[in-house]
Amino acid sequence: MTGTDTQSSFLGRISIRRNQVNAMDGSHEQEIEDLDLFQKQVSDRFAEILSAPDDTPFDAFLSISWIRKLLDVFLGCEAECKAILLMGRDAAQISKPPLDRLIPELLDRVVKALDICNAIANGLELVRHCQKLAEIAVLALEQKPFGEGQSKRAKKALVSLISAMHLDDKEGSAHKTTDRNWSFGRRGGNKDRPLFGHYKSLSWQVARNWSASKQIHAMTMNVVPPRGPEASGLPSLIFIMNLIMVFVMWVLIAAIPCQERNGLTTHLPIPKNVNWTHTLTGLLEKIGDEWKKKEKKGMAGLLFEMQKMEKLGQSLIDFTDSFQYPGEKDKVEEAAKQVAELAEVCQRMEEGLGPLQMLIREVFHRLVRSRTEILDVLDQGAKSSAPLV
Amino acid sequence: MELPENPDKDNNGYESAEKIILRWDSTVSEEAREKMIFETDRHEADLYLQAVDEIQRSLSNASISNNTNAAAAAAADDQSKVNSTIQIAMARLEDEFRNILMTHSSALETDSLFDPSSSSFSTPSHHELEEDETVSNEDSSQNDLLHLELKHCASSDSSTYRSTSSIREVDLMPVEAVCDLQAIATRMISSGYLRECTQVYGSVRKSAIGLSFRKLGIEKLSIGDIQRLEWEALESKIRRWIRATKVCVRILFASEKKLCEQIFECVGTDIDDACFMETVKGPAIQLFNFAEAISISRRSPEKLFKILDLHDALMDLLPDIEAVFDSKSSDSIRVQAAEILSRLAEAARGILSEFESAILREPSRVPVPGGTIHPLTRYVMNYISLISDYKQTLIELIMSKPSTGSRYSGDQSTPDMEFAELEGKTPLALHLIWIIVVLQFNLEGKSKHYRDASLAHLFIMNVHYIVQKVKGSPELREMIGDDYLRKLTGKFRQAATSYQRALGALRERFKTFNAMLEEVHRTQATWLIPDTQLREELRISISEKLIPAYRSFLGRFRSHIESGKHPENYIKYSVEDLETVVLDFFEGYPPSHQHLRRRSQ
Repeated sequence: MTGTDTQSSFLGRISIRRNQVNAMDGSHEQEIEDLDLFQKQVSDRFAEILSAPDDTPFDAFLSISWIRKLLDVFLGCEAECKAILLMGRDAAQISKPPLDRLIPELLDRVVKALDICNAIANGLELVRHCQKLAEIAVLALEQKPFGEGQSKRAKKALVSLISAMHLDDKEGSAHKTTDRNWSFGRRGGNKDRPLFGHYKSLSWQVARNWSASKQIHAMTMNVVPPRGPEASGLPSLIFIMNLIMVFVMWVLIAAIPCQERNGLTTHLPIPKNVNWTHTLTGLLEKIGDEWKKKEKKGMAGLLFEMQKMEKLGQSLIDFTDSFQYPGEKDKVEEAAKQVAELAEVCQRMEEGLGPLQMLIREVFHRLVRSRTEILDVLDQGAKSSAPLV
Repeated sequence: MELPENPDKDNNGYESAEKIILRWDSTVSEEAREKMIFETDRHEADLYLQAVDEIQRSLSNASISNNTNAAAAAAADDQSKVNSTIQIAMARLEDEFRNILMTHSSALETDSLFDPSSSSFSTPSHHELEEDETVSNEDSSQNDLLHLELKHCASSDSSTYRSTSSIREVDLMPVEAVCDLQAIATRMISSGYLRECTQVYGSVRKSAIGLSFRKLGIEKLSIGDIQRLEWEALESKIRRWIRATKVCVRILFASEKKLCEQIFECVGTDIDDACFMETVKGPAIQLFNFAEAISISRRSPEKLFKILDLHDALMDLLPDIEAVFDSKSSDSIRVQAAEILSRLAEAARGILSEFESAILREPSRVPVPGGTIHPLTRYVMNYISLISDYKQTLIELIMSKPSTGSRYSGDQSTPDMEFAELEGKTPLALHLIWIIVVLQFNLEGKSKHYRDASLAHLFIMNVHYIVQKVKGSPELREMIGDDYLRKLTGKFRQAATSYQRALGALRERFKTFNAMLEEVHRTQATWLIPDTQLREELRISISEKLIPAYRSFLGRFRSHIESGKHPENYIKYSVEDLETVVLDFFEGYPPSHQHLRRRSQ
């Protein structure tokens, strides 16, 4: 679809949308140019983050660092999209069909994205919790001389860690874990005391019936590529913005634990026959496959650091299970390596979680601001068409 | 552990300590699982703690420099054994710690917070002023465009809660429990088990806060939920939130902070800060998320005052928020509070603008029966009164002049306003004046649908109402200023004059009609049409034209005449009278017989 084709097809048609025909000279061309440029930038930016060099494992796919890059890309695209949408336009232009439907729908999705941001921020607290448990294990496992005391201590922490990761993320079901990490079973018949499972503290701080998977599903409704004469111009821009936003939110939910992700869809309405969506489709497939593999086992998200932590954690549990002072040399050496790796994961989390939390907050702010700005323009439009007398 | 001096004594001490620890190892002993040391017996608890101290002492006294490899190996062995014992002790202490916490982690006692003589928690006292005290019955059914009611809730909601006006720490658990916790925490920390300690502490206390939240009626709502709720429902949630948040910040969180300080007293402020944040960070964010969601909800005029309430409450709380969340790790909470405050201010500004546009746009063309105030006027003036009640906040928030659109563009859809002559007025005052200007402009537009006297009448009644309202409120009067008030009064006088003129003309019309009617009656009554049918048909034909026309004429203008002096001089005949008159036509009455029979008399 080139600029001239669209132009001539417009020329050839009697369009009811006189504005588009009138604005065709110059500004519509400009619009198409802007849009093409935007599409290219989106494609380029996503392609950049897809390919991570192998020698920096912690910038690996779905690591904290990678997600930060993804969010940066999102912020960049969002800013451009908003600029194209609002700059030099008045309310009348953005209130005409089909924008009169598309823009409110976009804003509605923005609100859903805001809730996702809050849920993710909450979920990052679980990640932090896991980090702290892992740090206990590391502390214990690094002790010299390493004895059974430290081994038991480490095991206790690791078991808590693995349980936390396999937290069924339904609201209120935090007590399904079999090992509640008391040193002993609790006495029965304690009816006058409220039930304080170890993980009650991790109960989600989001609304009771809120579901991440349902939220994403709702966001994907009506995201369809515009057709016909609408295929160029603002409707297309809005489609791209919707797509990017849904995609990024979906990645966040897949990576970071949050409430009720059962049945998370692995299908997003990314059109396949358009060249700039290759990278998105690729990412979607890759992440979707991982998700499907791990979903049945119950897991706390595809975040690279969490996955690594889980693997190391399991392995070290095995080690501590079979440990007897002073321990077999090669097993101890192997464990030491894993402990070092685990320590590095913790370090990465320590360095990266704070900035990630701030970045999510920034995404939140940006979405709010854009929504407010768009609403302001729309409201002004209503003003000028006042039917007085 | 071999020590050169006093080997036997310390060995015995160590051994008996070890025995105690092992006895309470719950991974091994059934009995140990069934009882909690600190619940059972003070003596047991003391013994246990002493045992822990003994073991710790022996660890730190351990001699690590040994000359032979064998000795070093032996030392390592022993150290490992001691560490093992310590781990068992720490695991036990962790469980005891958790148990004591859980025993004393119920929701905040809210009863102690209330003055029993004031209203109970569930039915808070607040004032609600209905739209206008002098609302007449006719108005209430009018005009569903403006069915919005403005409720003014006195911001003295704190009367419901005794002293939540400043930070007040309460004891969240009995002193003995705090002592025990402190004793345990000290040992855990000195053995290097700080992390386990803070982990347990945070998780149990966070749950306790969750219980308090529920008791205070704090809900978990998503932003989506809040967008979907009706504003009226939200208003009561906002009220509840304000009350609850005052308790949370000033009592609940402050008390948790104090508890942390007490329990982790001997180990330094970093640790009790960390524990405190572990406990309250999540709940605090959840709390503020509600206010944040309100601050980003769509703007519409009826939301202004509750948003200002929320803004004021948060503003009031800010110093206490900063006092309670004073560490580096709580930056994000302070920042969020400040962000929300700023968004609320923005929202207030936006709503005021939106309100001004709404007045301009308000399109209702329902004619208001003479003598009543247009609902728009009433609504706007009430709104302005409320604005002046919130003057203190709004004067700070409103910083720019009203956007009057293109002033000299000749744009017919907005009024002009000269700002030059309004030097020295606060932006808020300018907004108020602008609102009145816009209101008048809208009324003028509406009144163009009315003709003659009704037009002028509508206008003067409403302007009069506006003037009275302004005069009646010292704050309004002060803000709008006597200059502008004079202008308004001038308009009123102008309108009154043109009304008088119109009324005079109307009276003339009535008089003329009456005279003509009497003349026609006198003449037509003497005519005779002998043929009954023809007579009847003629009368019907005249009635059909005359009666509806008169009815409509009366309907439109009777109220104006009746609101003036001596209406009976002008309205002499009712519709029934007219019907009677026509019955006399063509009867061939002798001239002496004629007088207009007026049924209405």
